[in-house]
Amino acid sequence: MKDFFKTSSFKVLAIAVVVLLGLIIYTASAGGSFLASLLGFVTSPMQSVSTSTTGKVTEFVDLNSLSREELQDMVDSLNQENAQLREQLVDYESLQKENEQLKTQLEITEEVPENTLRAATVIGRDPNDVFYGFSLDQGTLAGVEAGDPVITQSGLVGVVSQAYATTSKVTCILSEDINVSAVAPSRGESGVICSDITTASSGLLRMRYLASDTQVQAGDIITTSGAGGTFPKDIIIGEVQSVQKADNDVSMVAMVRPYEDLTAVEEVFVVIDFPGAGEDTGIPLEEDPAGQEDTE
Amino acid sequence: MRDFNRVIRYLAYTLEILVLFMLQETPGLLPSIFGVRPVLLFPAVVSIAMFEKEIPALAFGIVGGLFCDFGLSGTLGFHALVLGLLCFFISLVVRVYMQVNLVTALLTGVWSIGLAICAQWFFLYFFNYAQPAYAFTHHYAPKYGYTLLFVPLLYLLNRGLSQALGAQEEGQFPYSRK
Repeated sequence: MKDFFKTSSFKVLAIAVVVLLGLIIYTASAGGSFLASLLGFVTSPMQSVSTSTTGKVTEFVDLNSLSREELQDMVDSLNQENAQLREQLVDYESLQKENEQLKTQLEITEEVPENTLRAATVIGRDPNDVFYGFSLDQGTLAGVEAGDPVITQSGLVGVVSQAYATTSKVTCILSEDINVSAVAPSRGESGVICSDITTASSGLLRMRYLASDTQVQAGDIITTSGAGGTFPKDIIIGEVQSVQKADNDVSMVAMVRPYEDLTAVEEVFVVIDFPGAGEDTGIPLEEDPAGQEDTE
Repeated sequence: MRDFNRVIRYLAYTLEILVLFMLQETPGLLPSIFGVRPVLLFPAVVSIAMFEKEIPALAFGIVGGLFCDFGLSGTLGFHALVLGLLCFFISLVVRVYMQVNLVTALLTGVWSIGLAICAQWFFLYFFNYAQPAYAFTHHYAPKYGYTLLFVPLLYLLNRGLSQALGAQEEGQFPYSRK
């Protein structure tokens, strides 16, 4: 045993341990690193190909496993939905025209600032991530930066936590690391969306710090409030499933179910710029004493 | 010839690690059981370590660990350190005390992958998040069981590689005599 510590193998091991400890400290403090970008550069093209192939095969197998009747039912329901949406579109267009006419008559002019989006595909989901984080095929070369919100057509999905040259890592909103300042627009009540491992494993979020006499109830839609400047305003988060008393205080907690299955998202948009980005509104939520809303 | 075989063998291991990383990361490819998916790189580097000397075993442990780190968060080093150390000691133990066969590979997989997953839970979860017991029973333990299923498969793959590419000629590991 004494001889072992004198061997060249042991010396190499000691050097490797010291170097790796240095690497841990460096990457933990500096964020990204050249090595991580290099690994992303090597793996992202292959991951894109394998993800796309798997997606196509899965889709093919899924459709093939359906019977003729099931496919017919699916087509019928889609046709029905399409007809409803067309009717809504007609109403929407007439309302839009009316709105434009009224604006002209009343001489109202307004410039509505819009979010700048970058389409991206999910190319990786790490089995070691407890909170369902994922990797995207877009990085800093496409304008993606750490802190950018990630959304789908159904609502908020997460935040870019690391951005490399050609890939980026997203922390899902199911993660305990993310708190989002949220509002129930129909009730005018605000709270903070957060999660932990128990709610994350059932795909739910908690909206905390609601008043004890809250009017929020099941079926209400929850959106981002935009406070803090980390997330754009009015992005849908989900629908209230139930409201219950908080464990530790007199406030109420709403259980919110996102419209999207956050554990299986495939196509997303990264919001690389939005009105009010990075601006702190200076309106702290009084229910959140730690002042940690809208932070990663 | 031996050097050439060694280079080819190391390239094959590197390619294996790369492909397994891709397979474990690709969404929807490996079915999730109890909400978890296996970490293929753990059994891969452990079985490579059983057929290689300490320093190559350490190197492949570090490479596999760096891929795990990159896949998880981009903060590099934790898995590289854990897997590097484990692979170094597995190689040492195998060369001094054990014969390599399917049973010893399974036993080595059980303790070493168990240690790696416990280290993950302790250093990456326990100090950072709430309800560590729930996380252990509902995420880390099922993941451990699922990952162990791949130990025999990857052991056979790496045994094939090392036999075909001359690790035994270099006297790097003691095969069991049957």
